[in-house]
Amino acid sequence: MAERQFKRDVQSLDTIFDFVADFLAANGIPPSNSFNANLLIEELFTNMVKYSKGSTGDVTIGLSRDGPTLVIRLVDHGVDAFDVAAAREVDLNQPIRERRSGGLGLHFVRRVADRVEYEYKDRTSTITVTKRLEP
Amino acid sequence: MLDIQVGAEGTIRLVGRFDASQADKAEPIFKSIRMSAVADFTELDYISSAGIAIIVETYKRLLDAGHTFRLVNLNPRIRTVFGYAGLDKVMQID
Repeated sequence: MAERQFKRDVQSLDTIFDFVADFLAANGIPPSNSFNANLLIEELFTNMVKYSKGSTGDVTIGLSRDGPTLVIRLVDHGVDAFDVAAAREVDLNQPIRERRSGGLGLHFVRRVADRVEYEYKDRTSTITVTKRLEP
Repeated sequence: MLDIQVGAEGTIRLVGRFDASQADKAEPIFKSIRMSAVADFTELDYISSAGIAIIVETYKRLLDAGHTFRLVNLNPRIRTVFGYAGLDKVMQID
């Protein structure tokens, strides 16, 4: 797995997207897969930035290819548990005026990913998502 | 990076990537729009929930003020993301 650590700050997104683009290119994965990979990582990463304010450590992002599947892993140390797989559902039938702006990010993760796994051990959150690659 | 160009006739041209790192820059620009507007997505490559939140807030604010806010020329991936949020049914997207 290709791994890199990123500062816990939304301004890290540019370097994260560069990391994703480099990984896809190095592994012969068409760049058409970058939109969904970036969306999955951004939503999970920004969730960690927002809700794990107590931690100052970097977030580790790992990428690997398992045949036709992209595996994305985010590891956050020294944080409280936050099971992204169990986050509340967004009510898509709500009229626009009553919509809250929050909560959409993890909804996107559930819609885009084929699988979302959450593990919490020794104050470390590990989120692993898989996404079938487009040819 | 995101570039936002606001024209005199309420046309907002979005260029680049509308992600969470651009939200602080984008929010005051969208808040300054006080008339019916059209957001042109032709050159927007990417949007996340952070960008969509600003678009939805602007949409609600302009609607409440009796204006309109249209989104045009979304690429298929961005259109799909609006669909995931159910926004394609409740917003004016051409």
